[in-house]
Amino acid sequence: MNILLTALVFLPLLGGLLLLPLGNRDRLARTVALAVALIETLLAGSAWFCQGNQPALPAPPGFFLYTDQPWIEALGIRYTLGMDGISLLLVLLTAIVTVIAMLVSWHAIDKRVSSHYLLILAMEAGIVGVFLALDLFLFYLFWELMLIPMFFLIGIWGHGRNHYSAVKFFLYTLVGSLLMLLAIIGLYLIHGSQSGSYTFALSALLGTSVTPATGLWLYGAFLLAFAIKFPLVPLHTWLPDAHTDAPTAGSIILAGLLLKTGAYGLIRFGYPLFPAAASTLTPYLIFLAVFGIIYASWIAFAQKDMKRLVAYSSVGHMGFVALGIAVWTPVALSGAVLQMVNHGLTTTALFALVGMLDERAHSRQIDNFGGLWGKIPIFSAFFILFAMASAGLPGLNNFVGEFLILVGSFPVASIATILAFIGIILPLVYTVRLIQEVLFQGEGNPLALADLNRRELAVLAFLALGGIYIGIHPAPLLAVIKVPVALLTGGAP
Amino acid sequence: MTANDLFIALPLLLLAVGALLTLLLGAITRDDTVGTTIGVTVTLAAALWLLQTPPAASAPTLGLAAGTVPRLFGAAFATLAAAVLCLSSGYNREREIRGEEYPATVLFTTFGMLALASATNLLTLFLGLEAMSFGFYILVAIDLQRPTSGETGLKYLLPGALSAAFFAFGLALLYAVSGTLSIREVVQLTLTGSPDPVAIAGWACLLAGVAFKLSLAPAHLWTPDVYQGAPAPVTAFLSAGSKGAAILLLLLLLPHATDSTPLRVPLWTLALLSLLVGNLAALLQNRVRRMLAYSSIAQMGYVAIALLSGKAGGYQAAAYYALAYGIISLAAFGAITVIERNGCGEELEDYRGLGRQQPFASGVLTLALLALAGIPPTAGFTGKFLIFTAALRAGEIALAIIGILLAAISIYYYLRVVVALYFKESLREGNATLYPLEYLVLTVAAAATLLLGLWPGTLLGLLSPLLP
Repeated sequence: MNILLTALVFLPLLGGLLLLPLGNRDRLARTVALAVALIETLLAGSAWFCQGNQPALPAPPGFFLYTDQPWIEALGIRYTLGMDGISLLLVLLTAIVTVIAMLVSWHAIDKRVSSHYLLILAMEAGIVGVFLALDLFLFYLFWELMLIPMFFLIGIWGHGRNHYSAVKFFLYTLVGSLLMLLAIIGLYLIHGSQSGSYTFALSALLGTSVTPATGLWLYGAFLLAFAIKFPLVPLHTWLPDAHTDAPTAGSIILAGLLLKTGAYGLIRFGYPLFPAAASTLTPYLIFLAVFGIIYASWIAFAQKDMKRLVAYSSVGHMGFVALGIAVWTPVALSGAVLQMVNHGLTTTALFALVGMLDERAHSRQIDNFGGLWGKIPIFSAFFILFAMASAGLPGLNNFVGEFLILVGSFPVASIATILAFIGIILPLVYTVRLIQEVLFQGEGNPLALADLNRRELAVLAFLALGGIYIGIHPAPLLAVIKVPVALLTGGAP
Repeated sequence: MTANDLFIALPLLLLAVGALLTLLLGAITRDDTVGTTIGVTVTLAAALWLLQTPPAASAPTLGLAAGTVPRLFGAAFATLAAAVLCLSSGYNREREIRGEEYPATVLFTTFGMLALASATNLLTLFLGLEAMSFGFYILVAIDLQRPTSGETGLKYLLPGALSAAFFAFGLALLYAVSGTLSIREVVQLTLTGSPDPVAIAGWACLLAGVAFKLSLAPAHLWTPDVYQGAPAPVTAFLSAGSKGAAILLLLLLLPHATDSTPLRVPLWTLALLSLLVGNLAALLQNRVRRMLAYSSIAQMGYVAIALLSGKAGGYQAAAYYALAYGIISLAAFGAITVIERNGCGEELEDYRGLGRQQPFASGVLTLALLALAGIPPTAGFTGKFLIFTAALRAGEIALAIIGILLAAISIYYYLRVVVALYFKESLREGNATLYPLEYLVLTVAAAATLLLGLWPGTLLGLLSPLLP
């Protein structure tokens, strides 16, 4: 079955290369790109049915798809990909969000169309690679690879101070990852000198024993890289700029997918590789997570630009994910993984909605809108639904994730949990204000707006169904991640 | 001269004969393509010979040998010269750099590089180095139409002559201590745990001379002016070839050391200064070539880190980086050759919107810049990875952390060019031309940058003699 994993990583890349000769044939480029993304989604979906699969190669426990080939043997670098339940959910999310990002920017992008879709597909390849790589060198490769397309997406198709934002995004994330590279090399050398075999394989490096001080340094470098991606306050300042100035597809992929790579890295590499150092730093991580939840919600309240508001709300929601990971109990960790998926869907929908408004009115300022409920009711209904989902309304998807995180973290860190609970209420404040001002309040200068077209309706309806389904019946998703979460938190599967 | 001597010296003879033939034919025909054709033929023939023949025993009477690593570098230098000649053909025609002396000088310079690469004797080494430098003194000033050419030539010649003097004096001191000219014996005898004071002075002079060639700070001052003032293909040749040869020179010497700790402090200082000066000064540049000149100073700082951690795999890393940097330099300055030939200025502002006007050259330049910045999956990344691995293994943790933080800073000045190329709107319209030979060179260089980054295994295998 190992061909499936390789196909998942390289299909978007090869599909993207198909777009190169298309040049200015925009329609064709869009169609080909969408077809590639849909095939990728089918592949990712087919992985769902491989869960009972036993890999031919001896795979680490929990991984039902696994491939392992020598790559650069002189340095002990291998091409190792593996999929467990957590990777499966995130790869599926990646495939779906990419399709949606393409559909949302269908007409919004009218210059250099084929390059735009090429970059989206390249980024998809990088992100899927991050979610599947089980060799630290390979992981680092994909980790860096996903930066470059995003840099160009923001810089070429963005608006506002997008050149500044693109460079800031790139520099911020790169500083973290370069230090992580040193830590990866350090771990590789320590493991090599202990065992005599130099390798970057995660399964081998898991058994490395490092002194507490060294472990702290190495883990610190990993944590910095992941915290910047997360982003944890105070390392978040690249995010509002990048989100606001990116084109809609860029914002969707940034918030829906790129932020998840930080959380995933912490789950897959940070905690398992350095359990001792991680537990030493856990109180600080919990503090940063809770501080981020409250701070971001507070700042979001003050935003006038809807896209910026959604961006800050992302920082808050990712704070919950950080809390769930930091306490490292099975329930909270399941909640964190589920919340990654939920946040992916909800934020995608919100950025799509803001993008649709922007396409129509060429403005994202909250002040410029009002009374949309009377004018474009279908849009408004979706707006309320997703805003409420984002605020954690019970019965919708985000509630389940946040609830699990809070339940799971209360026994371990009760004060932090209580404070984080406030963080569930605060989003309600700015969300209700947003809904009130945009949908119901009378507007200053009336705008003529058209309601959703079929493409937009299909996108939003799909996301809405997904959100409601997870909100009501999260059990299938939780069942998928049950085994890996149990393995990670040290229990028997 | 025995058959074995001839076998080893054949590539050198090819180049020398080619250079002479070019000069002779120049008296008969004024067609510059003749010189280029001869040049490309002999360099590629020499490269093929070096790659295809089995390693041979040394030729002591000539002071030459043909080990795996020297032959690999020799082939790389010869191929580089062929690429430079291909790049130059269009550029020189449009810049009116005429005459047979250009290809002949390129061949002569390559002759020097190959002699240096296969030297087993300090005298051959010095002669090779000086032959190469002599060629470059001429090449950087060869554009007679440009008023700044003479100035550039002088700025390279004067410090160059000084460095040659230092180098020669260093060799003399080492000879005085050891009483032999064989590289292996000299290094073994002089570079020990408790070296002779005269030997220390010798090594200091030698290192000062090489630091100039590598443009390691504080011997870097000529670099920005020469990178800026020389014709673009010559800058490519200088950046890739002269730097590569200087790194190879150190790789021929240092691994023979009984104990290389006496060199640790000077190399450490040179590395740190070069990293700081190169990366920080590059931030301030508004001209692309000057920025790349400072970037090369920084890159050589990384090589110095590798040389410093030699026994921990650093020699192999330095050799890999020398080749990788050569290929990336060729890609970068090759792209700049095309861009400038199409009438673009030197300022960063002039590069605005070129991504649409000259997509191919801009794409190659972007790839080269990302490679210089150490972004995977390029040869630049793999090279830095090897260097940092060696540094950590050798315990040079402070230098590794400083180096990687400065690498992060360096991203900013590389990205500035990318921002100008792709994010800004163009100031002018116009059609760009791209000659097939330029296309070929840039494609090969770009492909090599990626392939060497993704599959370094074969090259690392060839460089394994440098491992302890």
